[in-house]
Amino acid sequence: MRGEILNVQHLSYGYPSGHLALSDISLSIGSGERIAIMGSNGAGKSTFFLNLNGVLKAQSGEIYYQGTKISGKELKELRRHVGFVFQDADSQMIASTVQAEVAFGPMNLKLSRDEVEKRVTQALQYMDLQSYRQRPPHYLSGGEKKRVSIADIIAMQSEIILFDEPTAALDPLSADMLEQVLADLSREGKTLLISTHDVNFAYRWAERIVVFDRGKILADGNPLEVFLQEQVLEQAHLKKPEMLKVYETLSEQGLIEPESYPREAGELAKALIG
Amino acid sequence: MKRHRKHLHGVTSIDYYACQSGLRQWNGCYKVCAAIVILILCLLLDNPWVSMAVILTMGVVNLRGNGVSFPVYLGLLKIPIAFLLLGGLGVALSISSHPMEPMSISMHWFYLYVTRETLMEALQLFLKAMGAVSALYLLALSTPASELTAVLRSIHMPKLLVELMYMIYRFIFILMDVQQGMKNAAISRLGDADFKTSCTTFGQIGGNLLILSLKKANTYYDAMISRGYEGDFPFWEEKKSVKAWQLVILGLYITVLLLIARITSVIDK
Repeated sequence: MRGEILNVQHLSYGYPSGHLALSDISLSIGSGERIAIMGSNGAGKSTFFLNLNGVLKAQSGEIYYQGTKISGKELKELRRHVGFVFQDADSQMIASTVQAEVAFGPMNLKLSRDEVEKRVTQALQYMDLQSYRQRPPHYLSGGEKKRVSIADIIAMQSEIILFDEPTAALDPLSADMLEQVLADLSREGKTLLISTHDVNFAYRWAERIVVFDRGKILADGNPLEVFLQEQVLEQAHLKKPEMLKVYETLSEQGLIEPESYPREAGELAKALIG
Repeated sequence: MKRHRKHLHGVTSIDYYACQSGLRQWNGCYKVCAAIVILILCLLLDNPWVSMAVILTMGVVNLRGNGVSFPVYLGLLKIPIAFLLLGGLGVALSISSHPMEPMSISMHWFYLYVTRETLMEALQLFLKAMGAVSALYLLALSTPASELTAVLRSIHMPKLLVELMYMIYRFIFILMDVQQGMKNAAISRLGDADFKTSCTTFGQIGGNLLILSLKKANTYYDAMISRGYEGDFPFWEEKKSVKAWQLVILGLYITVLLLIARITSVIDK
């Protein structure tokens, strides 16, 4: 296990209306982990992210960033290290050009002009957006806006990046691009947390899955562990990934290597017997 | 027959043109100053020839420089023109109890009449105001809101006002988006079947607009906070220096306007 980067202890958060969105959440996140956060609508995923990002302040419980307890003033500090890509890219767009939009975060970090420029250029390059520099972000297409919203966070160079349902409302091409970016970010050692309803994506991509249900953690483990627990799947209204179903069917008929559990088509082809 | 709804609303398109304008790379302060100087000249010189020159040249700059197509520009001018025509009518027409020369219309109880002087006055007023409007369009179509706020900040306008202005400007778009979405959803369910239904739909959209915008505004605020917003907009501003030839052009332009004013006033006398 790589070093721990974020530790959440007994976190509870209730909205002013009295609805308890998170109750007694404890979670340890290792540096560089790829975690999928799953659970039905209203299970508390987004609230959890807003807490991790220091936007919302929990009523009770602690968050430790690299061993340091985050409290009061350090909430701002937390926002420097944890980036949040919102589900609706539109809600992030604030400036009137892509360049100024991506520069918003670094400018808030009070970096020097040269440094901001450097980071913006890097982030735009990363997301293949150089030719959009002077374009107004509000008039871009959905996929392009998503790319800008990710560049926003990349420019802040946060160690941890939270994605709230990033694949929602993306066309297949943009979704592929997104997965490519996620792979790149992961390779660079970023810690990624993604909330998603896409079981196939989670099974393929994540190395750890945390299932939320009504504000509590229902299951936490590697994808296989989680998806093999029928009772968890039922309670959290999750479906079994297609690849796992295919494996099970083939396994019943003895057509696939036992315990191979392929995650994608290529692995499946290799594991087939005969 | 019903007219088709336009897809680009007025304000949205102005912002859009400002972002893609060919004059986008010019210094913001320069553009603001130029527009204001031209506007003031238009008003102070109070000369129909100068006004016409401004309307024409600003038209050319807006079409060529700012890259606005002619129909769109005409559409943008339509609203001020309508207002100015109505206003001009008020100036041109006078009321009298008996018929007047050279032209009067009987309205049974009284007469509406027009004299050469009032007509000229109305025309002059119309041209003056149109010149001013064109000069302001030069600014609006070439300078996006964020650049404008940067200019205001550089002249030490209170931070609170500048930020408030930008936020309000941003939220107009949010409101319009939300409203447009709800309107489309309502229309697709025959929410505009007849006049009465349309009115009800309008009311309901109005009510929901408030709730939805509040929710959206909250999300927007969260998104800003999560990117380190701490009550201050340190927007990225590109360094755009004023070039000498740009100053020369403005200088020449002002000189020409002054010359036109001088020459025509001499001829008039």
